[in-house]
Amino acid sequence: MPRVYISSVIDAPAAKVWDRVRDFNALPRWHPRIRDSRIENGEPPDRVGCVRDFHLQNGDRIREKLLGLSDYDMFCTYAILESPMPLTDYVATLRLTPITDGDRTFAEWTAEFDCAEAEAEGLVAGIGENVFQAGFAALQRNLAT
Amino acid sequence: MVSIVKSTVLKAPVEAVWEVLRDFNGHDEWHPAVADSAIDRGWPSDKVGCVRRFHLADGSELCEQLLTLSDADMAFSYCLLETPVPLLNYVAHVRLAPVTDGDWTFWHWTCRFDTPAGREAELKTMVSENIYQGGFDAVRDFMGLETT
Repeated sequence: MPRVYISSVIDAPAAKVWDRVRDFNALPRWHPRIRDSRIENGEPPDRVGCVRDFHLQNGDRIREKLLGLSDYDMFCTYAILESPMPLTDYVATLRLTPITDGDRTFAEWTAEFDCAEAEAEGLVAGIGENVFQAGFAALQRNLAT
Repeated sequence: MVSIVKSTVLKAPVEAVWEVLRDFNGHDEWHPAVADSAIDRGWPSDKVGCVRRFHLADGSELCEQLLTLSDADMAFSYCLLETPVPLLNYVAHVRLAPVTDGDWTFWHWTCRFDTPAGREAELKTMVSENIYQGGFDAVRDFMGLETT
């Protein structure tokens, strides 16, 4: 099962970073690759089980379901329901941990999924760079103190 | 019960930091509070269950037992068996994770312990500042790393 792991240091307190990323409907407000997003059936974005329906800047449409959300441990876990990517059983977790030395944030983003063997390398690299690393870079640009 | 969570980032690859930290008997090499250390019964320092007996600069003797060690997770935990300081039921966890963006290391160090009423704040500060934060700074010096 291919696995993506990207981690980064964001020069802002973890509570401030979490405040930005915990909203499951807020991707367009902080991730440069996301154009728009809505939560299906008018549900609140912190209701576990809710589904976000969003578009990338290139027009691709993705639907993802919130599987877990913890304000205590500062993580959110979600699965892809629908996407143009040639993969299945995609589950990802975004997790923040405070760095007490300097009041900064250690951010980790992981994903696991199934796909055809020939697609694995490209998908791991693409998701890691374009989604996870690009997201962390945007958080660093917008929140770093 | 007192709980401590301390963490830092070292500007070195996680494998290099793990090589220093995984040696349960290596802390006298880098921690300024530790004068000397030896593993009881001649056991290897990566044998789970081994006991390190060490002295602080003031001569006091402590014993700690290795409870878990994982090269896969780059983590270990240990407890205090004997100590002149009233840190009771003390269990600590050390965990490293790679910072892939920069090839650095995230180092997480936590513990919980009981202590006589009234001494919580004093001992919490002593452990978190002298032992943990002091340990972070000492490993940084030991490895010749710049501060982050």
